[in-house]
Amino acid sequence: MPSANNKKTEAIETGYGRAIVSDKVRSHANDPFFVKKVEEAKEFMLKHPLPDHLKK
Amino acid sequence: MNLERYVYFASNDFQDYEFYSNGPNGKIRKIVMYTKIQDDPAMYNLAFGDADADTGVVYDNVITNNQDRDIVLATVANTINEFSDRYGNNWIFATGSTPSRTRLYQMGIAKLWKEISTDFDIYMVIGMEIGSHSRRISTMKHFW
Repeated sequence: MPSANNKKTEAIETGYGRAIVSDKVRSHANDPFFVKKVEEAKEFMLKHPLPDHLKK
Repeated sequence: MNLERYVYFASNDFQDYEFYSNGPNGKIRKIVMYTKIQDDPAMYNLAFGDADADTGVVYDNVITNNQDRDIVLATVANTINEFSDRYGNNWIFATGSTPSRTRLYQMGIAKLWKEISTDFDIYMVIGMEIGSHSRRISTMKHFW
């Protein structure tokens, strides 16, 4: 597993690449910005549910 | 996708991602977060914003203008691949914070259409209807 220590954080690479798992990436689940976004998305899906043919 | 992207970092549960945009306006920490918003079928919301360098507060109402839009969008697209590898084939809901942002994302999807459409089915909402994404249709909301 690559570590955050051996890559420059703003480095650019080309093509698909795996994420570097880092303990420094914290959860934003309780961040007001993301809480609001999630509530808006839920509200939208309640108003615009997937049509039956797209429910797998 | 054979596109330039930033190196990106994930939390241990692969629901939170971070990377750094680097351009004329400096180094800006970008946050991507996936949150389950419904079951049966499972759907996750993709939220994306900038973290303030001093406070860490995340926002999406400032135009970064770091001249790296395509690299940023390709990096976000990469997180979708990574998330899907970990969580399986689920619906992912994404929208811009404003109509112009949504339009920007639509243009990004259109530009990456060849690469994205081989891995994902993309649907959008126009008015009240959900339908298949077409490169030429103006989109309001996107689903992967």
